[in-house]
Amino acid sequence: MAVDKNMRILVIDDFQTMRRIIINLLRQLGFTNITEADDGTTGWEKLEAEDIDLIISDWNMPQMTGFDLLKKVRASEKYKTSPFIMVTAEGKRENVIAAVQAGVSNYVVKPFNAATLKEKLSKVIGDF
Amino acid sequence: MTDVNQLQSQLASLENTTEAIPAEQVRELVSSIRDLFGDRIDQQANGNSGDQHLFAELGELAKFINTAKKELRDAESGKLAEQEIPDASVQLDEIIKMTEQATTRIMDCCERLQATQNRLRDRLLSAEPPLDPELMAGVDDALMENETSVTQIFEACNFQDVTGQRIQKVVKTLQEIERQVLRMLVVFGLNQKDTTLDDSTREALVHDAELLNGPALPGQGLEQDDIDALLSKLL
Repeated sequence: MAVDKNMRILVIDDFQTMRRIIINLLRQLGFTNITEADDGTTGWEKLEAEDIDLIISDWNMPQMTGFDLLKKVRASEKYKTSPFIMVTAEGKRENVIAAVQAGVSNYVVKPFNAATLKEKLSKVIGDF
Repeated sequence: MTDVNQLQSQLASLENTTEAIPAEQVRELVSSIRDLFGDRIDQQANGNSGDQHLFAELGELAKFINTAKKELRDAESGKLAEQEIPDASVQLDEIIKMTEQATTRIMDCCERLQATQNRLRDRLLSAEPPLDPELMAGVDDALMENETSVTQIFEACNFQDVTGQRIQKVVKTLQEIERQVLRMLVVFGLNQKDTTLDDSTREALVHDAELLNGPALPGQGLEQDDIDALLSKLL
């Protein structure tokens, strides 16, 4: 089944620069329906208020971390099976294992490039 | 082997006697004492008792504290904690701000380039009469090359996030060193300033330090290939 390029994507990162990089790369890949949040708490508010098809989140953030958000997302009825990609500088083995155990769909370590992001997206939502 | 109870009863009987104590009884008593306390008597004789060792350690500690106190005074540690470390933190914060501003300007330019390219492509495609297909294909290839370069510039801007996190980690470490030095100055009476942190401030500091533990340095964390290999086993 073809990937819907109009899918609603939520990008969460406390660094505005990083949000902008990810959003620009997503646009280059043809995705245009993108919204953003600067930490897990505001991200969760967006998830509750809207219908999000794909979540791309940083790990280390104030208020609510990406890992806490992941657990909250997986505990919710609405998003328990939604694709969730962790994009983070936390490249420690125990973090990757913890994220997988919490239900992450894939894991991208910073710094990354467009090809890596595209490959991870393909694994999570299908080829496009 | 004599036990403590036997020794106590031997001593009690001797304490109450008014007669001369036979030599044999004295030998028995000495033997009992040696059985029970021989090791400790030897240690005392060799100067290796636990107490003596502890006193020696405490003496060394006192010397260390005195030396540290003198070095702190000589090194103008008050200036270090109250001026130089905060200055260094401010400088590092400025680096984060400046790199963020520069990165934002770079990305602004990239987005303008992308918009200009898209407008150019649209105009060329809608030109009347239409452009020669071969020429248009060549222009499109050139535009695609430019687009790839712009994407690579965006990718390179990753550095701001990663370096920013590392610098923030250093800033937090400097702030902790500053607090600890000030505390030492207060403890040693070299500075009257009260630097005692309240619990909430300390908790906040610890939380920040954990939050901003920064990206792993090259060779310390897993690379994307390692993570992919791990994920292939776990997912």
